[in-house]
Amino acid sequence: MNEIFFGALPYVAFTVLIVGTLYRYATNTRTWTTKSSQFLAKDSLKIAGPMFHLGLAMAFGGHVIGILIPKFLTDSAGIDEHLYHIIALAGGIPAGILFFVGFFLLMQRRFGNPRMKVNTSKMDGWLYLILFFAIATGCLATTLNATGILGDFNYRETISVWFRSLLIFQPDISVMENVPLIFKCHLLCALALITIFPFTRLVHCLSFPFEIFFRNSIIYRRK
Amino acid sequence: MKIKAQVAMVMNLDKCIGCHTCSITCKNVWTNREGAEYMYFNNVETKPGIGYPKDWENQEKWQGGWQVKDGELSLRTGSKLERILKLFYHPRQPELLDYYEPWTYDYETLIHSGRKNHQPVARPRSLITQKRMEIQWGPNWEDDLAGGESARQDYNLKHMGIDITLEFQDIFMKYLPRNCNHCLNPACVAACPSGAIYKRDEDGVVLVSQDVCRGWRHCIPACPYKKVYYNWKTNKAEKCTFCYPRLENGLPTVCTDTCVGRIRYLGIILYDADAVFSTAKTADEKNIYPNLLDVIKDPSSAEVQAAARAEGISEAVIKAAEISPVYKIIKGWKLALPLHPEYRTLPMVWYIPPLSPIIKATEDKVYLPDSESMRIPLEYLATIFSAGDVGVIKKTLQRLLDMRAVMRQKEIDAAPPKNLEFELGEYEKMYRLLGIAKYADRIKLPAGLQGKTHEQLRELQGSTGYACPGGCC
Repeated sequence: MNEIFFGALPYVAFTVLIVGTLYRYATNTRTWTTKSSQFLAKDSLKIAGPMFHLGLAMAFGGHVIGILIPKFLTDSAGIDEHLYHIIALAGGIPAGILFFVGFFLLMQRRFGNPRMKVNTSKMDGWLYLILFFAIATGCLATTLNATGILGDFNYRETISVWFRSLLIFQPDISVMENVPLIFKCHLLCALALITIFPFTRLVHCLSFPFEIFFRNSIIYRRK
Repeated sequence: MKIKAQVAMVMNLDKCIGCHTCSITCKNVWTNREGAEYMYFNNVETKPGIGYPKDWENQEKWQGGWQVKDGELSLRTGSKLERILKLFYHPRQPELLDYYEPWTYDYETLIHSGRKNHQPVARPRSLITQKRMEIQWGPNWEDDLAGGESARQDYNLKHMGIDITLEFQDIFMKYLPRNCNHCLNPACVAACPSGAIYKRDEDGVVLVSQDVCRGWRHCIPACPYKKVYYNWKTNKAEKCTFCYPRLENGLPTVCTDTCVGRIRYLGIILYDADAVFSTAKTADEKNIYPNLLDVIKDPSSAEVQAAARAEGISEAVIKAAEISPVYKIIKGWKLALPLHPEYRTLPMVWYIPPLSPIIKATEDKVYLPDSESMRIPLEYLATIFSAGDVGVIKKTLQRLLDMRAVMRQKEIDAAPPKNLEFELGEYEKMYRLLGIAKYADRIKLPAGLQGKTHEQLRELQGSTGYACPGGCC
């Protein structure tokens, strides 16, 4: 079972992510958009939109740091386990609150305003469901872990090690054996998100317009 | 000098009868689709009025167009960093109700109603939510002042600091047909985060690439004329295309073609692309209009033609520029003015300001009044067409009055009026072009704007529009 979940599924998910995204970009850029709904409901987006995106960016950054930076590097930098977790929670708690509250406000807006129906596809529905579980399990796992209910579990010695082993194509499944169920659920949600990413509105994050800083203000093009 | 060609339009507001044929034919061709129902690439407003979308001229509210700050030209909508932050929520983007909620009627009830004491009615239904709705506002809610409720909210009046009375003896109005101005310095192009909006090199038409647009929607507040629209179905920006598929084949835009009053003139102008930014940066906004005239170059000058050839502009386009009716009106006679030049986008749809009936008090004394004694206050026209410079409006209207005086004297066989600006023959030409010009005189477009040679066009014969015969490659 573990082989499938932690050895095969991640590769399937990332393959779908990469191939699917490239395929959609190559064949169907006309549907590649932010799907902005500000035009339909402006006021309710004012706080919720930026809040959600800020929480998301912070949470994403936290995951990158927690998963990609090996423990021995922070150890050698003189940051011990206790200090590391204080830093992690100092960033993580506000991120979680912004992310979750932002998500809640956005959903209230999306399903409370009849106009928003034209901006909500069936795929969006699935996306929000998975996103909800991903945020909920993530927040719950962090809370349980921080309060010590899960014992002396350390994701940096288990999940992070496993994820980095995926990146070098030598999956180390053994470290995942004693990972608490709630973390496994969170992982499963993440894999689901990664899999459906190319087919949802999420793709707009890849189009973040950095080019605005580099291009001429007026563009001339020949036919 | 870097010469580029631009398709420019002139509208003779004296002849606009406010029939909305341009809006409707445009709508039937371009925006009768789901997601675009609320869009009017071309609309006709009654001025004074708040317009479509509501209060679009209020740039304190929308922050459209450009500004000069510390001698530098920048988008009023904010610095690049500010604009990145506004990706998540743009405080200046108009929303649906700033335009109006599009609706249809339950026509079915008219046919399927059972036998009743009262006639069945078709009640309105929202095209967004598909639910019953009360109609609160429409794309042309203030047609012919419509009771005048919103007329006094006109931003131009507030800007001038005057109130108008709606008493019958003083009231005034005029029509203002508006489509995309295909500006020389378009703010929408500069504001687009994705670089999806571009100005065509061949004819200056400003287009949104539907494949590159990511729906960041920054073009919409950035355009001071509010002529870029957000499609709620495709979630991308759309705007007037100047009917480019028609232009490419030497045909005018649909609005021009179908104009009942024959108010629209379409032709080529040649302009100096190197001078665009410095003109947009003009310190005193009243000088933008005269400087813009300098950007437009004389197409019959050998130097300009040589520069145009050096840029690869085809002979057909240069020829069209030489005989361009819009060049004649804009620069030859200086009869047309840009709409709100103070937005600094250098618009390429120009307006001949309207003469208007004289006020009752002076009516019985003169045949033709001074421009000051006409119904539409000069200050009002100046706020709209010349950044508040009343002198420009006065001169422009005087040319139109002179033309009428010359033609009248000719008719009654009297001596021509004195202090004329042009030769007598020019007024006759002016009268012909403004008054009785035929289709082919009002519209002078070269075929093959894309610069395709006859050889290339012949290859396309029989290919039914595909890139190669049979369409297989």
